[in-house]
Amino acid sequence: MMDIGIDGRIDKGAAATVGAVQNDTLRSARFRLEREAHWRQLDALVTRAEKGGAATLGYDEVRNLAAGYRQAMNSLSVARDISLDRALIAYLESLCARAYLVVYAPQESLGGLMTRLLLHGIPQAVRRSALPLFIGFLALVLGALAGYRLCSSDPSWFYTFVPPEMADQRTPDASADYLRSTIYGNERHESDGLAAFSAFLFSHNTGIAVLIFALGVFVSVPSFILTFYNGLILGAFFVMFQQRGLGYDVFAWLSIHGVTELAAISIACAGGAGLGLAVLLPGARTRREALRHQAHDAVKLAILAALMLVVAAFIEGFLRQLVQEPVWRLVIGWGMGAFWVGWLLLGGRESKASRGAVQ
Amino acid sequence: MKQPKQSDQTVKDGKRIMPFIPPEGVPISFAIASIGSRLGAQILDIIFIFIVFFILGIVAYAAGLASTGTQTLFMLLGFLLRTPYYALSELIWNGRTLGKRITGIRVINVDGRRLTPHQVTARNLMKEVEIFTPAALLFAIGSQSPWQDGLTIVWLLAVVIVPLANRRRQRIGDIIAGTLVVDNPRSVLLSDLALSATLSSQAGFEFLPEHLDVYGKYELQTLEDVLRDTTKSFKNEEIVRIVRTITRKIRYPDAVKSGQELLFLKDFYRAQREHLESLKLFGTLRENKYHEHTRTEAKKLV
Repeated sequence: MMDIGIDGRIDKGAAATVGAVQNDTLRSARFRLEREAHWRQLDALVTRAEKGGAATLGYDEVRNLAAGYRQAMNSLSVARDISLDRALIAYLESLCARAYLVVYAPQESLGGLMTRLLLHGIPQAVRRSALPLFIGFLALVLGALAGYRLCSSDPSWFYTFVPPEMADQRTPDASADYLRSTIYGNERHESDGLAAFSAFLFSHNTGIAVLIFALGVFVSVPSFILTFYNGLILGAFFVMFQQRGLGYDVFAWLSIHGVTELAAISIACAGGAGLGLAVLLPGARTRREALRHQAHDAVKLAILAALMLVVAAFIEGFLRQLVQEPVWRLVIGWGMGAFWVGWLLLGGRESKASRGAVQ
Repeated sequence: MKQPKQSDQTVKDGKRIMPFIPPEGVPISFAIASIGSRLGAQILDIIFIFIVFFILGIVAYAAGLASTGTQTLFMLLGFLLRTPYYALSELIWNGRTLGKRITGIRVINVDGRRLTPHQVTARNLMKEVEIFTPAALLFAIGSQSPWQDGLTIVWLLAVVIVPLANRRRQRIGDIIAGTLVVDNPRSVLLSDLALSATLSSQAGFEFLPEHLDVYGKYELQTLEDVLRDTTKSFKNEEIVRIVRTITRKIRYPDAVKSGQELLFLKDFYRAQREHLESLKLFGTLRENKYHEHTRTEAKKLV
């Protein structure tokens, strides 16, 4: 491997050819002759890095790549001033662009990225977005309360709120025994139905979460409405079971996965609401800048929501059928809740010593 | 944020060129990817995802996970494959998914820094809203109520219009993340015409300064294109016509013998380039053959 060498621009091979035609060449042609070998070296390095990634290059080659890149940039800048050879300038421009893309590639390792996200990024983003989170949970709680009030005064509201494919056969007209069997069902046909139902719920919930998040751009209103509506369904369901005296059982049944899942939906709503707030109240920034700034936290909230939804889906798919005892369902569900709260509140805090050092 | 003004953008060969300033401060440019190649990349990516999905489905079926678990599994997979696939592949391959690699396009950061994980995630999260949800709604268009159909159409229109309506062809996700989809730059170093002229020229056409004062940079580079275009060099009449025009315009005294036209053009190119480049070094750049005219115009204004 030849060393490019930033200072000694003319290596031996090029110097010989330069000597032969030195007397009668244009300044710009001489400029090109002197440097062409380096450009070709850089070209070869960049081509290799493009094919196999910068990881395939050795230590010296990476160093040469960086030096060659700066030199090519320098050449381009000079060539624009002294040369009218369009082919040369076009070549240098594209070479510099390619080298730029190789030199300024993302350098984070995936593992490091994930660890940083989980240990610092997400908890800090959550603690920064208290107001959007308040809005998200408020929407869900208000929805649930409204659903509860409306359905306890008039059960026919249930049919308005809950889409029929979601309710399955669990309507206010079903018998208490049937409803009990959906909560504690472990027979073959029941679990079959429940698996399909939970699959539906999962796709429903991810779809809703994604929509809630993304539609938040429109000044948070769609996010709020969708979350509120989700709350309505929840309230209506709860009332239906409660009126058959199954309140405690359905609370446990919902808790085991719902604590995680509903929190995820509220967090997705918070992400969307954050975007909406940035559009609505941009403060000293322009709206576009505020949106871009807020997107940093919002994206982390969305990742958190996705993570929680996946966890909820696993709990829902496996644990809910396995664990039949209401007490254990409550313990698992709220235990998960405590875990989330603990992680999000305590994770990624700088210790007092390091903060003092920074100051 | 160093966003170049949109008026800086030029159009060359039907491509939109985006000026771009890397941290070294020397402006370079990228060609903005066409809607067609982006659509192609998108379709390819969806096909790849479906293939993986399909293979996993067969594996799950063969492993006897049929009926109960499968549905949940598939929902999970559909969710896990989409956005993470795009985000991770763009992160690992520096802005290129498999489909983008095939169609030769890539994602770059608008403000000249390296692509950040946040940008990649943000632009692909929005893909869910911009592409997958409307596509799913489109398939359901017959079975919905009229106002839902209307909503779907409005949604689709909004999603399609945004990238068509802005100059940089950014979709909503690109705008939020601050990214840009461009063509992969390709570089070919062509030979130096001035050099080959020196080596081949034995006939020795001499040009006086007044011969070289006629044309400017634009004409020189047009001549460069003519000389580089190997297919045209066989059409002799064209070359002869060009030579005749040039000799008339610059009032070249001697007639160019037939068979020596190409040599004449090469020599003229070299002499003209030398002249213009030395003028440029001293601060007078002649854009084109109207430089006399613009100078007198400027004088009049003064």
